[in-house]
Amino acid sequence: MAKLPVTLTVNGDGYDLLIEPRKTLLAVLRDTIGLTGTKEGCSTGDCGACTVIVDGRAVTSCMVLGVTAADKAIMTIEGLAADGELHPVQQAFIDTGGYQCGFCTPGFIMASKALLDENPARTEEEFRHALGGNICRCTGYTKILEAVMQAAEEIRTTA
Amino acid sequence: MSDYTVVGQKVPRVDAIEKVTGAAHYGADVHPAGMLYGKIIRSKHAHANIIRIDTSEAEKLSGVRAIITQADVLSGRRVFATDKVLYLGEPLAAVAATDPDIAEEAAELVHIEYEVLPVVQDVMEAIKPSAPRLHGDATKDGPNRRGISTQLRKLARDKENDHGDEIRSLEAELEKYPDEVYYNISAESHTEAGDVEQGFADSDVVVEDTYVIPRVHQTYMEPHVSVASADSSGKVTVWASTQGPFAIRSGIAGTLGIPLTQVNVIGTTMGGGFGGRFGVIITHVPAVLLSQKTGRPVRVQMTREEEFLDGRPAPGCVIKLKTGATKDGRILARQALAFWDSGSVSGASIGSTIRVRGVYKIPNLKVDAYGVHTNKSGTAAYRAPGAPQAIFAGESQLDEIAERIGMDAVEFRLMNMREEGDAVPAGGSEPKVGYKETLQAVADAAGWWERETDENQGWGVAVGDWTNGCGPGGVYISVHEDGSVRIFHGSMDITGTDTSISQIIAEILTVPYENVTITRGDTDSAPYSTGSGGSVVTFTMGNTAKLAAEDTHRRILELASERLNTNVDNLELREGAVHIITADPPKSISLGELAAYSLSTTGGPIVGKGSFARQPSTPALAAQIAKVEVDPETGRTRVLKLIASQDVGFAINPMTVEGQIEGGVVQGYAWAMMEEMQYNESGNVNPGFVDYRVPTSADLPTVESVIVEVPAPNGPYGAKGVGEPPITPTLATMANAVRDAVGIRINELPIKPEKVVTALQRNGH
Repeated sequence: MAKLPVTLTVNGDGYDLLIEPRKTLLAVLRDTIGLTGTKEGCSTGDCGACTVIVDGRAVTSCMVLGVTAADKAIMTIEGLAADGELHPVQQAFIDTGGYQCGFCTPGFIMASKALLDENPARTEEEFRHALGGNICRCTGYTKILEAVMQAAEEIRTTA
Repeated sequence: MSDYTVVGQKVPRVDAIEKVTGAAHYGADVHPAGMLYGKIIRSKHAHANIIRIDTSEAEKLSGVRAIITQADVLSGRRVFATDKVLYLGEPLAAVAATDPDIAEEAAELVHIEYEVLPVVQDVMEAIKPSAPRLHGDATKDGPNRRGISTQLRKLARDKENDHGDEIRSLEAELEKYPDEVYYNISAESHTEAGDVEQGFADSDVVVEDTYVIPRVHQTYMEPHVSVASADSSGKVTVWASTQGPFAIRSGIAGTLGIPLTQVNVIGTTMGGGFGGRFGVIITHVPAVLLSQKTGRPVRVQMTREEEFLDGRPAPGCVIKLKTGATKDGRILARQALAFWDSGSVSGASIGSTIRVRGVYKIPNLKVDAYGVHTNKSGTAAYRAPGAPQAIFAGESQLDEIAERIGMDAVEFRLMNMREEGDAVPAGGSEPKVGYKETLQAVADAAGWWERETDENQGWGVAVGDWTNGCGPGGVYISVHEDGSVRIFHGSMDITGTDTSISQIIAEILTVPYENVTITRGDTDSAPYSTGSGGSVVTFTMGNTAKLAAEDTHRRILELASERLNTNVDNLELREGAVHIITADPPKSISLGELAAYSLSTTGGPIVGKGSFARQPSTPALAAQIAKVEVDPETGRTRVLKLIASQDVGFAINPMTVEGQIEGGVVQGYAWAMMEEMQYNESGNVNPGFVDYRVPTSADLPTVESVIVEVPAPNGPYGAKGVGEPPITPTLATMANAVRDAVGIRINELPIKPEKVVTALQRNGH
């Protein structure tokens, strides 16, 4: 299949790429650019493991074609910690034990980050529903919610 | 509570940073130079003869490097189906290509001609003479016929006497059970203790019911994947997402006829396993075969759909259960007949049927269990394999008995629970256990005794028992000149076990937890380690780590005695330094200084090792209470409270222990209320997350966990395995809660809204 020239901006870095139009953003991130922190759990947009932030919104990168992500600001899990400093939501997942196998964690962290950027003042119940697009099979969600609430508190008090 | 400084603490996990930054390397993140992408070509029918496999068109596709079938398996061991397929998705061939999309295209271009055969998916149909046969016409006797046949065989052996009349009468007796000639049986298991018939005769209340538990998928978030690289010397390296690298090594070597030393398995960070990640054939062997054929590294990665079609999920089963009790609440007898759906191969955990005995004093017990072939993939372990199914039946029926005799469900259980020294039905004698403490703890935490309910609300309780396994393991420790402690071993981290190992070693060597690092070796470099399943790791590797740390401790004191010129008995290791106990002024030497000193001694660097294989384990109990509200119009059940207690022996890291409890409970909840792999004559019909719903955070409230610690004599610091017990009682907890809320008992899981509505209508609601 013919490849198209595309420039992607991922975590602030520009990448000039030649990619087949059929490749998903997830495939481009993982296989072409080599950013493997974003995970593939279902390839059908149902599990949220591949969640990245595109122009401020959480999207499942397996549902987006790479060529359509040109000229957009893409953020992956690798771009979240700034200058070696963990983002509050990353730290909260560590403190509360909000991850176990860790495979769904990048997706959960990116989905949580987008929600927290939008409104850190949500109630636990609201976060519970807002994170309903991400599947975790290990934790039973109790500690994930604890982590998100801890991060929300941290963000609210330092903002 | 204890004098420990590192064990028993909620320290962050050793892999914290890599897990929250995306740096952890899972199987699909391995990408050696020149890697090809493999794809398995699968049967499109659930039962069919294979007439022809034509790969010629696929081979012509640009980018395709190899296509293999069973003809390429020189060892002759079955990897791909040849003449007949037994389930939808069964592997027939595999392709390697330069791009995953090309591999997928090529897979579609492989033309397979089938002769479709009749299909059987229901175990109760599969045992009938009319059922299609998967593996021939052999039959097995049901429980009644079995008893008679055994007597007949005994009489036939006695040539001395004439038993003609007796034989004829027994043969006539056999004729009474024509339905007990079972077809498609893969395995059987029978246990008997006491006399159940007498037990039922002596009972005031006898309850009998049939319980149906669906096949469910472990649904670890990382689909199966392996990357294999075979070099020209014949050496095979496999990066495998697996719970047991050493089992995969021997599996690959055995299947492909490669010497063990020519196979190196590198376990990659595991994206969940729950018992389902031990399989050798699923992706590892095809990856090796494709790499051998192409001379290039090859990755074989399953899609989520392939996971559902050709994973190895937990078996569904049908359990006919009968229980008898006196009106004052003593259980006298229990009898089970179970049919486990083992799919196309044997291997369902039929032996777990014995768990219908629960943790109760039951003097008379009889269990007959059969594995039954159907047109589905094979099964594997899933978190306490077989126990959730058997315990669902046992604990549901226990509630019915309590109800009939008018006893409180908790009180009834407490009254019948075994204690130290009690006879385990068809087992030995119960060691010191914490059954009653654990149930009492959850009842107290839930406020069971003063519980309140509004309309359509109800409370359910159930308990489940499990005993962790154990197996061989080895750990090396070295102490470095900066005082840091390095651990080396070959066991896969299963959500926190590396952290527990590190905590134990830090505790014994009295160093800060942060100064301990842990490295996992591959099967070429690390000592043998048992697979990370069966709740073994903390028990096995914890004991191994303890032995290694004690060995290191000995070497440290020996060196310090040499350096400080005093007897070992005068020395004490504390806070990362060796102190002369009696010295005034105090005198000590730090671990770092000792490690530096060791380099110039005749003895050499500080190295410790620990090896362990087995010690008796102690049973653990999980007890749970749920409060639910059922909407009688929609049939929907909402969980208001979910409280779980568990006897963990000793919580080496309470944070990760709570995590295991919470995760297990939610998987149990899902099995009770949501999950079911559905099959018809075409095969599995819900191979994806839209039709196979697993819970999200929106489905459940916070799970409250209560840790109970009744130490295990042989566990490290008293620890018991914690991973498996929490899933065991949840299925019955939910069913019992729904029963309490709206008066209907659902014995066929999952408890989907439509079943609730139908049952309510039947009840004249």
